[in-house]
Amino acid sequence: MDTRRQFIVKGGKLVAAGVAATAAGPTILVRDARAAGQLKILQWAHFVPAYDKWFDPWAKEWGAKKGIDVTVDHVGFADVVPRATAEVAAQSGHDIHMFLGLASAFEEHVIDLGDVVGNLEKKYGKQVELAHRSTYNPFTKKQFALSDMWVPDPGNYHRDVWNKIGKPNGPVTYEDLVWAAPEVKKVAPQMQIPIGIGLSQDIDSNMAVRNILWCHGGSIQDKEGNVVLNSPETLRALEYTKKLYSVGMTQAVLSWNAASNNQAFNAQETSYILNSISAYRTAQDNKLPVIEHYYFTPALKGPTGIQLASEHVMSGYVVWKFSKNQDVAKEFLTALVDASRESMLASKLYNFPSFYGAAADPGTALAKKNEAGAAWIAAQCNKDPFGSTPPDKLALLARSLPWSTNLGYPGFANPAEGEIFDTYVLTDMFAKAATGALSPKDAMTEASNRTKEIFNKWRQKKMVPGGGKDK
Amino acid sequence: MSAVVAVPSVRSGVTIRRADRRLGVLMLAPAVVYITLLVALPFLLALFLSLTNSSAGSLDFSFVGLRNFRSVVANPLFQRSLRNTFVFTFVSQLAVIVMGNVLARALMKTFRGKAIARFLILMPWAAPISLATLGWLWIFDSTFSVINWVLKVAGWLGPRDWYYWLGDTTLAMVAIITIHVWRMLPFSTIILLAGLTSIPNEVREAAAIDGAGTLSRIFRVELPMMRPILTVAVLFGVVFTFTDMSVVYLLTRGGPFNSTHVLASLAFQEGVLGGDVGRGASVAIFLVPVLLVLAIVMLRSARTAEVV
Repeated sequence: MDTRRQFIVKGGKLVAAGVAATAAGPTILVRDARAAGQLKILQWAHFVPAYDKWFDPWAKEWGAKKGIDVTVDHVGFADVVPRATAEVAAQSGHDIHMFLGLASAFEEHVIDLGDVVGNLEKKYGKQVELAHRSTYNPFTKKQFALSDMWVPDPGNYHRDVWNKIGKPNGPVTYEDLVWAAPEVKKVAPQMQIPIGIGLSQDIDSNMAVRNILWCHGGSIQDKEGNVVLNSPETLRALEYTKKLYSVGMTQAVLSWNAASNNQAFNAQETSYILNSISAYRTAQDNKLPVIEHYYFTPALKGPTGIQLASEHVMSGYVVWKFSKNQDVAKEFLTALVDASRESMLASKLYNFPSFYGAAADPGTALAKKNEAGAAWIAAQCNKDPFGSTPPDKLALLARSLPWSTNLGYPGFANPAEGEIFDTYVLTDMFAKAATGALSPKDAMTEASNRTKEIFNKWRQKKMVPGGGKDK
Repeated sequence: MSAVVAVPSVRSGVTIRRADRRLGVLMLAPAVVYITLLVALPFLLALFLSLTNSSAGSLDFSFVGLRNFRSVVANPLFQRSLRNTFVFTFVSQLAVIVMGNVLARALMKTFRGKAIARFLILMPWAAPISLATLGWLWIFDSTFSVINWVLKVAGWLGPRDWYYWLGDTTLAMVAIITIHVWRMLPFSTIILLAGLTSIPNEVREAAAIDGAGTLSRIFRVELPMMRPILTVAVLFGVVFTFTDMSVVYLLTRGGPFNSTHVLASLAFQEGVLGGDVGRGASVAIFLVPVLLVLAIVMLRSARTAEVV
């Protein structure tokens, strides 16, 4: 029998062995996970939960047919970037990582998917321009991601209220919102926030303020990647937002998260929001009273007629360089694009294919594929298979491509645009100007200085162009 | 026949001391390994990264000296976050210590339902912060705040009145501090309760016989005697609060317009979400010298008080 001392010494050795095993553990586990015949995918928990119920078994089934064990892990949309950061730092993790919006900051650690996109374009025709501009870096000439889907970002309006103020088809221009706000207060005094455009630190607000900026002629960068935020157009957009905030919004919009505008609209606490159809599907699923008043408008027009809205979500699948299953990953992504019809239907028309041609009837000639795909998409939107009343309530989505654009407009998406997006430089500028925390000019100057600092940093890393004509 | 008496030799004494030392080293080893791997190395790495232009999507970086520090110090957002960090820490710790004292004194008394009260007081400490903050998010929601609805029903708020808890810069800080106090209070209460129970009853009785009232007993007898344990509670609370980002990140994400960031949440936003690891690291380690000085002063103060 051991003495107490011997017992403790043996115990100590065991602890030491345990520590060594723990240190070696990740290596062993990672090696195991990278064994041939495995594919690990990380992606977001979809805003329309029905999509994940389709995607996970579909991916498994695809793998089973090829003798590959596919694992799908889901994270909340806010955790997509932190997880990527952790996996890059560890140089291990999943094979495929899905980004929402901008994956460009991780360009150095992902493989070039130019061959996959090239093959898909030979099969289906060109992908939509905003997908191309979100996944390709013309400066480094690298196809760093592949987009299988994007999501339109229409206006959602409460038809009953807008009918009462004499605009049954909702607003057409940004000025309409300023005009309508006091009218909404008169006909629907119970609504807390007549116009519900977020100015907070969240994804929807980030899209919304870009829409306002672009439609007033401003942008963060020009086509060549020069910083042009400091401009009369930006100032005009900020002054407009200040006016709109004073007549039609409350401090609530400064604190909204991604779900807040959905909740406010579905609770009939606001008459207009900018959102995809996920809020609408929630209202449908829960049979909320708002559903009969729930209608959509295209992107609003600015003072000079510019009509643009950012994509609401843009998938950007990357394959990490550290993945040992790169060829399988490429095959999987190709199969995902092949399944564009199923994907769109599984998401209840939330996802729109990035390759319209992939939604065409099989056998369609290549030259006609994009057109045929668009026709199939329009057919779904014109007669919503998920129970809209009237059935063509979502018809305008089929016509959303001309007014939809990418983050980084009028240039390409790049890491600087990504950092500005993720650190809320623009929402900060708009909120400060709207609330009077800073004058519009000071808010613009502050944001422009920060923007230039971010762009210059990425230019030094040779990942972002421009600089010679910064304003 | 002569009896043989075993006398411990000097040599065997030395052996025992050596064995004890080995055992001591062995028993300390897990803690040393833990601290080295999970505290010291990450800290040194953060220090190193703060002097580089490292970014999230890259393993390459260049040495940039103090450029990150110069850049963040000149940034109004950093200045505001620094101020918020001190306000957040000072106000919440003051509230925690005062309320913790009150609760600890209440728990020293015998009353009906004391076990339930103790359980309820401890609950926030046990609840996962992410879950608890989601509950608070609804309580403070700018559109559906349950506090506002109660105040409306009670007649405090008029038909057009509303508190935008998370949309107003001041109210948002109030909400953040409230949750942090709610979260830290149980720990502080338990620590202070331990301090109070360690004071012999004779001391209290002697003070009472000498004519000390309740307040002078608390401030002149009990609090000085509790100084070591009070110092530990404050030190722990200050360090924990200075370095905490969870409440801010889950409740406001630094909003409205980046006005409620503390240094830890700003470091996360810039370093992890924004991908500027070098800049994020420089924000994160900015308070290390302050915390170090604070810890030394407070621990020295506690040590001198131990003789009381």
